[in-house]
Amino acid sequence: MILPLSIHAMGTRFEFVLAGATEPSLRAVGEAALEEVQGWHAALSVFQPESMLSFINRTACDRPVRLDEDMWNLMSLCDRVHRDSEGAFDPTVGMVMQRLGLHPGDGADGPIGWADLVELDERERTIRLTHHGVRIDLGAVAKGFALDCSAGVLREHGVEAALLHGGTSSVIAIGSPPDRNGWTVSIRSAGEAIEVDLADRALGVSAPRGRIVACEGGSVSHVIDPRSEHSAEQVDTAAVVGSSAGVADAWATALVVLGGRPASMSDKLESLIHGQDGWVCSQRTCPQEVS
Amino acid sequence: MNHTTRREFIVQTAGALGAVAFMPSLIAKGAQIDGRLDVAVIGAGRQGRSILGELQKFAGVRVVGICDNNPGRLNSGLRRVQGAEGFADHRAMLDKLTGCKAIVIATPTHLHREIAIDCLGAGRHVYCEAPLAHTIEDCRAIVVAARRASGLVFQSGLEGRSNPIYQLARTFFRSDAVREPVSLEAQDYRKTSWRFPSPDPRFDREINWRLDPEVSLGLAGEMGVHQFDVMMWYLDAIPESVIGAGSIRAHDDGRALADTIDCALRFPRGLGMRYGASLGNSHGGRYELLRGTNAAIKLAWTAGWMFKEADAPTQGWEVYANRQQFHNEEGITLIADATQLASQGKLQEGVGLPNPPLYYALGDFIASVAEGKPAICDAEAGARATIVAIHAAKSVTGEEIVRIDPSLFQF
Repeated sequence: MILPLSIHAMGTRFEFVLAGATEPSLRAVGEAALEEVQGWHAALSVFQPESMLSFINRTACDRPVRLDEDMWNLMSLCDRVHRDSEGAFDPTVGMVMQRLGLHPGDGADGPIGWADLVELDERERTIRLTHHGVRIDLGAVAKGFALDCSAGVLREHGVEAALLHGGTSSVIAIGSPPDRNGWTVSIRSAGEAIEVDLADRALGVSAPRGRIVACEGGSVSHVIDPRSEHSAEQVDTAAVVGSSAGVADAWATALVVLGGRPASMSDKLESLIHGQDGWVCSQRTCPQEVS
Repeated sequence: MNHTTRREFIVQTAGALGAVAFMPSLIAKGAQIDGRLDVAVIGAGRQGRSILGELQKFAGVRVVGICDNNPGRLNSGLRRVQGAEGFADHRAMLDKLTGCKAIVIATPTHLHREIAIDCLGAGRHVYCEAPLAHTIEDCRAIVVAARRASGLVFQSGLEGRSNPIYQLARTFFRSDAVREPVSLEAQDYRKTSWRFPSPDPRFDREINWRLDPEVSLGLAGEMGVHQFDVMMWYLDAIPESVIGAGSIRAHDDGRALADTIDCALRFPRGLGMRYGASLGNSHGGRYELLRGTNAAIKLAWTAGWMFKEADAPTQGWEVYANRQQFHNEEGITLIADATQLASQGKLQEGVGLPNPPLYYALGDFIASVAEGKPAICDAEAGARATIVAIHAAKSVTGEEIVRIDPSLFQF
């Protein structure tokens, strides 16, 4: 049977399509996977004061904050992509987004720059912020990371075929639908769409024009270059395919900021970037464009 | 010269006159203790894992042991905390972790009695999740054991009691701001089957104990107990009777327990409380609504509001209070710490709790253990709410009026 399940979380809709044998057990597994999303929504929201991330932003400058293994893995992921993307992916950029009116805020200002502001202690598994007013915002990676955790629950309980997405920009495919090589996902950018088949792979998509906010002197997109603190608008869309939706999400944002694929990006990650010259894809021929 | 604006002056003065001035700092409350307190958690299911997450926030608190007889759940728990030792049996843990002073029990309800009594017998302070037990006999046994364990803290996990917003709202409820209670209402609506997956069929019944009518109090017990307690605490009274009904509306998957219930509880002097819970629809979520002749208070665990009647007297601080629009009504946001926040010009930041309600309940427990203070919600308070919940569950199953014998509350 095919069982669809969905919830609203992280300001968007998460939808899971599961293939399996009997409904009560499949629903129970699916709900456990959805609970992961709800849990991460509660933990990572910067708009809810009671979230773990708000606790970190509030407390970690006064004392190191202990992290559980999953939260540690998430922070380590951010640290790794920040380093490999030479600062193009930076979760402390939330303060700029607040300043530009992309995020609601209390008018407070604070520094940005992950490398100097965030200290991770692997031995103690703690995080410390070096300055007051730092605002870590994991909006660019949270959906994908939550999907990674959900997929982990599904796999742990033996689900062999499922498609999961959060707001259509973060996707994980487990196995394939019956008689298919993968779950076919269409990526549309400026009127040009391509299709990718995903099987046990994840996809992260970032489109700077996905959300535009009017401001003094024009408009800004929701992807900010942390180095210049201006909108990143060199490309229309960046998509990354890999084994982790969290990593794919983070790199998709980094590619929009960089305007192209850097040499430092792992060969294990596939990139599909749409700009003035149409789709440019790494590692293989671009999937066939569809109308 | 210290310039205080008229607005700040009014807010501060009004806060001092009202209950808000007495609220402790929400952010600092319980955040750290002097020295170190070793804690262990028994039960690493969903609630146990939430507890582990919140305990990590307290400086000075170390989780040294986690116990669960389900290997999958135990591993999930151990991933939350660095350096904790895992156990399958709680007695083995009590024997080995001799330096561990405090235990948090988050097992299925019907296992609380044996574990709580073992922990108290081993000289450990106990925080026990609510409901306290699934039978009146077990409730009474836990109360007796807690009374005998002199010098040990026993806290029942009824989180409303520790919630700063609920504490603040209670002072309003018991003042002229709300005045004479008119009616009470509470609900907990969710969209979930309440069924948990089990990789090993041997653990299925154990994992899905909430659906087992032999040991589960159903929605009235597992969800309602917290909300019944809020009303009982606010009124300082115990209901005299309850009538209930339930049915399976959304999850006809072979279960015996209702997935949707309605109850009507009758408090002294004819005051009524309606209670509804469902697993088939999430609209409105979880809240309590207390209507009085001057105002209604709505509480939703991380936020609270007061809705005033037009003829209710105006208090000075209301003029500058935060407000939220609900359709065509306006709610005054109940902000704990309002005086302090107002003095810093940060009143808006006070909307909503800065930590989950569970954090405050655990913080109170830790403070009681560290400072040798009585528990904010002792075994008797936990037993009272649980006994009411047991009656509500019985009324849902039998679809009849169940009288609640006051002598049951003489422990």
